[in-house]
Amino acid sequence: MSFREKSAWISFICILIFGTLYGWHAVDVEWLHARNGNSVAYVFGTMAALVVLEIALHVAIAVQSPRDARTPKDEREQLIDLRASRVAFYVLFIGTLASLGLGMHLPGANRFLMAQLLMSAIITTLLVRFGIQIVLYRRDA
Amino acid sequence: MAKAIQNNIRRLRFDRKEMTQQELADRIGVTRQTVNAIELGKYSPSLEIAFRISEVFGVPLDQVFQYR
Repeated sequence: MSFREKSAWISFICILIFGTLYGWHAVDVEWLHARNGNSVAYVFGTMAALVVLEIALHVAIAVQSPRDARTPKDEREQLIDLRASRVAFYVLFIGTLASLGLGMHLPGANRFLMAQLLMSAIITTLLVRFGIQIVLYRRDA
Repeated sequence: MAKAIQNNIRRLRFDRKEMTQQELADRIGVTRQTVNAIELGKYSPSLEIAFRISEVFGVPLDQVFQYR
């Protein structure tokens, strides 16, 4: 497995963990009203912890294959990035519009719900982006 | 039947004392995985990379890539 593919896997898994924790928290707070803690602190704390984890894992794979880590992305890798980003753009676009629509028209909607929906759209976009990168690397495209 | 880009990179590497994919990759400035993808016909390189490959092997471009 190449350095770039490992990197995409790390990002995908870290975002998946963050998305799961975030979604869990959002459901708790929004629908079950189960937590009274500071949501902003929870979200940014989780995000910071996962950023640190992602950096640590990237350093670990860079130590394993330092030459690959130093080499800039070649044209095929840039193309894979572009193809993944193109699909992710549509996911973000549709997700944003849907979040705004739902956030304004759902019964009991408020700014907090709209922010949750927008955050979900961003998380989904990143998962799609890294997921497509992984598929394309796997297929040697 | 639809035409496709084919290449002789595997044979050319063999003729150059079994040059490794990594060695070719280093000389043309791409990753080993990209050389592998080109060799398997899964990725068509840019003209610049194609010319670099033919330069490494010291043969004209049409001896490396064919469209048939």
